[in-house]
Amino acid sequence: MADTLVIANADAVLARARTGDQQAMEALYRAFEVPVYNLARRICRTAEDAEDVLQETFFEMCRSIGQFRGEGSLWGWIRTIASSKALMRLRRNKYRDTDELEDEISPTRKEDAHLRMDLESALERLGETSRAVVWLHDVEGYTHEEIAEMMGKTVSFSKSQLARAHVRLRRWLGEEAAI
Amino acid sequence: MNHLNMEQLVSLRAPGTEPGIAEARRHVETCELCRAELDRLHQRVARMKALPSLQPPRDAWPAIRQRMMDDRHRRRTRWMGIAGTALAASVLLTVAVSDFARPEPLSATAAIDTAKAQSRALESTILRYNPEARVTDGRTAGIAAELEDRIADLDRQLEVTQLREGGARDQQLLQLWRERVNLLDALVDVHVTKASNVGL
Repeated sequence: MADTLVIANADAVLARARTGDQQAMEALYRAFEVPVYNLARRICRTAEDAEDVLQETFFEMCRSIGQFRGEGSLWGWIRTIASSKALMRLRRNKYRDTDELEDEISPTRKEDAHLRMDLESALERLGETSRAVVWLHDVEGYTHEEIAEMMGKTVSFSKSQLARAHVRLRRWLGEEAAI
Repeated sequence: MNHLNMEQLVSLRAPGTEPGIAEARRHVETCELCRAELDRLHQRVARMKALPSLQPPRDAWPAIRQRMMDDRHRRRTRWMGIAGTALAASVLLTVAVSDFARPEPLSATAAIDTAKAQSRALESTILRYNPEARVTDGRTAGIAAELEDRIADLDRQLEVTQLREGGARDQQLLQLWRERVNLLDALVDVHVTKASNVGL
């Protein structure tokens, strides 16, 4: 989505931002604030955490813009900062994955038979880790290798979290298979 | 073949040559139920991508700009402190080099502790030199600023690496701490000897 964002005179804005020009940095912020906030909001539990991630991401961008060599897309670079910040926030807050907790209490989840959530609610209901993996993989397009690296976990962990998330989403969205 | 489980279905979306993928693909071609399940998976992902965009509840830019200004101020005053000497830097450099050349292997933890101590000692040297209170030419200031940026970047990497788990973490930490010592060495060179050609 944000890959298609267009900034007027992008190269010039970037060059000015690298020299510390605050107007240029603000232009970059304005161009990318919404996709960064969306990514953060989908990964973090609360809007407040997402706002913090938004702020930390652009603070980091402003500090490190001189190190961006233009080898990949600017959005790709900013997105990686945002993803790292969001994942760090999860780890720092040490959220307990709510779906894991519920599984321990009620392994059969009989109540799910009556559930038919909308997609937003179902995503919200996923545990922190599962939601982060499903969003980073399916929406942002990160590979399992990249997710594993960012999370400090293994590739198979990322794969199993993704499959697990989809099993739950399918159930909560009322898309249970007949198989 | 049995019907595919979710992990197999998910893996079918990516081009891959993992064991079992080809067989799973063949199964999907012939199994209506699994094909329908894969379609539902594709649709679910498409719906996630199409979720409405969320707007930040408030403008974060003023706070970011303020943080940047505070950060710049902090970095400018970072090296304020007691006056220092080039001799101390040379001694420390010698200690650092001889320590790294020590033949007997140290455990990663011990080596990290050593690098941390060297790092602290070099920072003290720079603090004692008090570069902010001295007249510096533009080139030296530029090189020093770049080194300080790289040290700040390393500090962030250290913070992230510290949070990681697994056996490779200590080696990564050690490497980062050693890089930090090298950068601080270079910074001492820049400030104290005004070296015109630091190996950047």
